Amino acid sequence: MENVLCLNRSTGDTSVACCMGSLRTDDLRVDGRGCEDYRHMEIETEMVSNTDGSAKVTLGHTDVLVGVKAEIGKPRPMVPDEGYLEFFVDCSANATPEFEGRGGDELGMELSNTLYKVFNNRYSVDLKSLSISPGEHCWVLYVDVLLLQCDGNLFDAISVAIKAALFNTKIPKVHISEDEEGGKEIELSDDPYDCMRLNVENVPCIVTLCKVGHRHVVDATLQEKACSVASLIISVTHKGTVTCVRKVGGGSLDPESIFEMTETGKRVGKALHAPLMELLQEEESLGKKRQKVGFLDTTLIVAVSHCP
Amino acid sequence: MPTDTKRVRGPEVSQSPSLFLWKSAAKKSTASNDARVDGRQRGQVDVRSVFVRCGLISQAKGSAYIEAGNTKLICCVYGPRETERKDETDMKSGRLITDMRFAPFSCRERGSWIQGSDEKDLSLMLLESLRPGVCLHKYPRSQIEVNVMVLENDGSVLAHAVTCASMALADAGIEMYDLVLGCSIRQEGATYLIDPTFLEENGCNLASGSRENLGSLTVAFLPSLNQISGLQSDGEMGEDTLTGGVRTCIEGCFKLYPVIQQALSKAVRRKAPPSES
Repeated sequence: MENVLCLNRSTGDTSVACCMGSLRTDDLRVDGRGCEDYRHMEIETEMVSNTDGSAKVTLGHTDVLVGVKAEIGKPRPMVPDEGYLEFFVDCSANATPEFEGRGGDELGMELSNTLYKVFNNRYSVDLKSLSISPGEHCWVLYVDVLLLQCDGNLFDAISVAIKAALFNTKIPKVHISEDEEGGKEIELSDDPYDCMRLNVENVPCIVTLCKVGHRHVVDATLQEKACSVASLIISVTHKGTVTCVRKVGGGSLDPESIFEMTETGKRVGKALHAPLMELLQEEESLGKKRQKVGFLDTTLIVAVSHCP
Repeated sequence: MPTDTKRVRGPEVSQSPSLFLWKSAAKKSTASNDARVDGRQRGQVDVRSVFVRCGLISQAKGSAYIEAGNTKLICCVYGPRETERKDETDMKSGRLITDMRFAPFSCRERGSWIQGSDEKDLSLMLLESLRPGVCLHKYPRSQIEVNVMVLENDGSVLAHAVTCASMALADAGIEMYDLVLGCSIRQEGATYLIDPTFLEENGCNLASGSRENLGSLTVAFLPSLNQISGLQSDGEMGEDTLTGGVRTCIEGCFKLYPVIQQALSKAVRRKAPPSES
């Protein structure tokens, strides 16, 4: 993450003082938000027709595109009756010049590894529903994340996009038929609309909290990130259970700050789920009548901005 | 995908026989409720006793070896050296480079020599845990390399790697604010298992019944300054359980502190030139 921050170090010490000064006295940040407010967020699903599910999220100037493809594969030997998810984050050179060539690999690896940890529990996604025949075939969901623009707070945008993409994913229904020799054949149903949807109720959302001075802020811009010594990434489900906590950054935190930040993160994360699900369901219900915005944001169709 | 062309590996479809043993082992572990397999107690700050020694490797500037139960790790520190990459904009402070690897024979299943994404993730966590403890501003334009090799993995590898690495850094004479100690915990429902073994860390996925809080937590702590330099959790936990777990890990770190200090002072005395009298 450090490479991305170097862009703003040249802004100098005056802006650092400015960021921290207003935070200390009142709940005011440089762009007028409170400490727990998100920037304007736009979500659109079903962007890419070749995928089984896709979503694009724009959070301020951060742009993230997620595509989910379902393929039939062999289940893991330890858990033969479950499917699994594979995450891959690609930091394309479009986002910032630092990502040119192999530059974005480290950041991409860090993001993918965190996503694996976030989904590494039994309740986020019902993996048993992804099984076709135990020990032989299962659905593998390849979740590919593409960073189009980078303006801080990548984790939050990525997690919201993944939730929206998984909601939008349509997995075709398959039937296993046995032929005469005992070999199993997989048949896809003829109806293209006959598909299985995933229950994304328990999919967690990630909240990044940056420690700036004595306070912590949600949804930090690159400028605010440059002023902070450490951040805490916390992934929260709609019930308030925490699936993953990680401290990132080169500084250390007081245990009391960590407890405060966890509490705030849990509160903010929990409050993010309900409007998100409402919005996704609303978008789905529009069906064919929905106007597709695509990649040019000339008209605002679907937007959610979070104010606690 | 990077493949290992230097070594002849077994065929791709080969599987370890231990996979087929799994079901019988699971039945034994669910039987015992209060005592853990190695005699420690659940729900109490009962870390494994630790054997540490510094200064093993003659070529390295500093080195340390730690053994906790069956987990064995060795760490070497090289530096401060001149930094190889000149394109860093921030040349006022040094760089810390960490590398954590598993020997192929360290885990139950044979691993590969090429660094997988798990190892890269652990290296990154190690870097984030150690960085607040080292006075990098005293080593401008230099880099300090920390290499950790896990010889045998019997649980809480990251926590012991942090402890081992900070001992090796101290042995190398790198200036630090404080020792960084690591402790990990496995939360199972209402009780916790501190410093879990490999079986305790992974075996619970097979336990039947829906347990509310099931996860692991690793904390890296600076005892004298009372600061947490690294925190990582997995699985699912309520917020209070998480807070309680962090406090328990901090207690575990305080228990380790005197042992590590003693080992370091012994190493320093051994290195010091003999007195004239």
